[in-house]
Amino acid sequence: MTDVRVTETDPFESAAPERDGRGPASAATGSFGTGDWLKWAWRQLTSMRIALVLLFLLALGSVPGSILPQQGTDPAGVQQYFSSHPALAPLLSRLGLFDVFGAPWFAAVYLLLFASLVGCVVPRTFRLAGSARTLPPQAPRNLARLPASAEYATALSPEQAAEVAARVLSGHGFRLRRSAPTGLAGSAAPTGPAGSGHWVSAEKGYLREVGNLLFHLALLGVLVAIALGGLFGYKADRLLVQGTSFSDTQTDLDEFYPGRLVTAADLPPFSITLNTFDASYITSGAQRGQPNSFDAQVSYTASPGGPTRTDRLEVNRPLSVDGAKVYLIGHGYAPEFKVTDARGQVVFDGAQPFISGTTGNFLSQGVLKVSGAEPDQLGFSGVFVPTAVDIDGTLESVFPAADNPVVSLIAYAGNLGMNSGPSQSVYQMDTAGMKQLTAAPQLLRAGQTLKLPDGQGTITFTGYQQWVSLAITHDPGQLPALICGMAALGGLLLSFVVRRRRVFVRATTSPQGTTVQVGGLARTDASGAFEDEFASLAAELRSAHQQAAQDQPAQDQAGHDQAGQDETAQPPGQAATVRHEGE
Amino acid sequence: MVVLAAAVSAGVLLIVVLVAGWGGSGKSDVTEVDGSPSAVLYAAGHRPTAPDFSGTTLTGSKLSFSSYRGKVVVLNFWGSWCVPCRAEASTLAAVAALYRSSGVAFLGVDVRDTTASALAFTRSFGITYPSVTDPSSAITLDFTSVVPIAGTPTTLVIDRTGRIAGAVFGATTYPELATMLAKVTGKAADEAVSR
Repeated sequence: MTDVRVTETDPFESAAPERDGRGPASAATGSFGTGDWLKWAWRQLTSMRIALVLLFLLALGSVPGSILPQQGTDPAGVQQYFSSHPALAPLLSRLGLFDVFGAPWFAAVYLLLFASLVGCVVPRTFRLAGSARTLPPQAPRNLARLPASAEYATALSPEQAAEVAARVLSGHGFRLRRSAPTGLAGSAAPTGPAGSGHWVSAEKGYLREVGNLLFHLALLGVLVAIALGGLFGYKADRLLVQGTSFSDTQTDLDEFYPGRLVTAADLPPFSITLNTFDASYITSGAQRGQPNSFDAQVSYTASPGGPTRTDRLEVNRPLSVDGAKVYLIGHGYAPEFKVTDARGQVVFDGAQPFISGTTGNFLSQGVLKVSGAEPDQLGFSGVFVPTAVDIDGTLESVFPAADNPVVSLIAYAGNLGMNSGPSQSVYQMDTAGMKQLTAAPQLLRAGQTLKLPDGQGTITFTGYQQWVSLAITHDPGQLPALICGMAALGGLLLSFVVRRRRVFVRATTSPQGTTVQVGGLARTDASGAFEDEFASLAAELRSAHQQAAQDQPAQDQAGHDQAGQDETAQPPGQAATVRHEGE
Repeated sequence: MVVLAAAVSAGVLLIVVLVAGWGGSGKSDVTEVDGSPSAVLYAAGHRPTAPDFSGTTLTGSKLSFSSYRGKVVVLNFWGSWCVPCRAEASTLAAVAALYRSSGVAFLGVDVRDTTASALAFTRSFGITYPSVTDPSSAITLDFTSVVPIAGTPTTLVIDRTGRIAGAVFGATTYPELATMLAKVTGKAADEAVSR
């Protein structure tokens, strides 16, 4: 995963050896010890090929997570899958496919990818830091051999020409390296080997490496952010009846899926009250009964004793409180009952949430377990019908709003089995220890009371409330993941768009005066953009040199001519010739 | 260079792995009661201060926790809907009667409940000590900031200075309560009973 580009050998990278993923055979030492094997394994792990394989595996691994029901988000779906695929499900379960993101093999892939990325990025950081400090190399001898080159003469001395070139290139944001300062003009003579003289090396496009590094670091950041969410985030569900409140504490949540490092004390201590809930439905046409809008009015405090605020919750419009997001994900009806037992004591008075299926206009089912009834405990299994219509003796709901609410109840008396054993669901009743009191379901409208047989007590359907189900999520990695994702994209763009390129300028004394050679090369110049850039740079250098020669004051000119005569016995007036040539 | 890079990478990984929660957690200020990890006693210097609260009892009167200062208090978080609460209710009623004379007060916090059901519960199990209603879990929330209450029931033993001396997470038993109360009141169970 070293780089975005692939195999090209890189004249720009001289420091560390490239990671190649070659086998141990490439070590020519003959004997291959444990250390060598470890080094080889590390090289393999951190190679781009393995990183890509791991990334692919990670993507492949999350596929069953979206196809199969997951224990964390849909335990009922998992149960259903078990009952509909009795042979296949246990096998899939053994492979952890119902809890993919918690499965050991998924963690292994994740950690290996993490190791691969860390092992790639860290050395790369060192390398970039080194490369950021290094100067461009010395100018090659023969600039004409470079992919792009130009040559022209100037009236300036080689030293002056180099000075002007440095100014121009530095103005274009190039990093410069120059021939050793000569101190005296006289020592600039081409006394050395061919290709010496005054030169400037310039390099540009370090942003490419920065982009590359940014991409890798950001990718690491994304992994860290996801891990953060998994460790410190949590998900929870809570069914909340109109007019009631709850607090974000583990005991008061219906379902709670904490991250690995989340404890009860880590939850943000907010409280939410559902003041009202309104659902409106389309009342006519083909869409009749489809929801128009949901609107939950809530008041909340971010922490105990804090100010109470109010807000509206709608679908896809969550409430943000203290780092957690509270989503409205469902709603339903909670019929209200008042129950007296055989002794005439009121043993229940409140709302009991019933659950509806996806169809049937909110025909909702539920149970009411009256564990405090004496001498026998009472239980009711019932159906709440919001808009009841009798169709051939069967009660059906024809509209989701509660226009004609009716409950249908079957009463039981006996032992609910709640005095020992495991916790029970409030939506299910174990009737094994119960005796059915009424043979047929009994219908009740709001305000009606059913007298239970044998003086077992009474139940009154007093009305109904609506409830909403809330999904609470807290993912501290969400924002970092977004930022890192954008940074990765930006880095990738930079590394694709920016090219490293070098421009060399060499000024040598020649019979014509001073010859300026300009050469350039770029890495991966597929678009040919560097040719244009080089051409315009060369033109600019040339005109800058020309300009500088023109602007040269007479005195300077004289001094230069003097020096020139001393060194090379150039005839005076050479500058004019050059100027001519330059035109 | 390669070795250095590998070392740094390994270091980064190690930190990540440690953060990922394979580090042990040593709690020296907490001791288990009778070898049960769900019942703990806090060492004298490490007892968290119980937050103050006030509320309405199931019978409709006002109750303020601060009026219990100077007494050892057994604070029980419960609900009539909760199966383990029903399992421990008789024990609590019995222990409350046993320790009444030795200045140990029992107090319930009725969580996520309706008053009618809760009163039926106290009648069924003969619980005579008061319970404050906590329909929105506000009291529970306050206590969660000092004790990791993760479920109902939870029972806290609060010393005379208003500090939490012991906690039982889940249904409590007579031996657990007796051990804790002996520690906090400074009297053995028999002593307390014989008074």
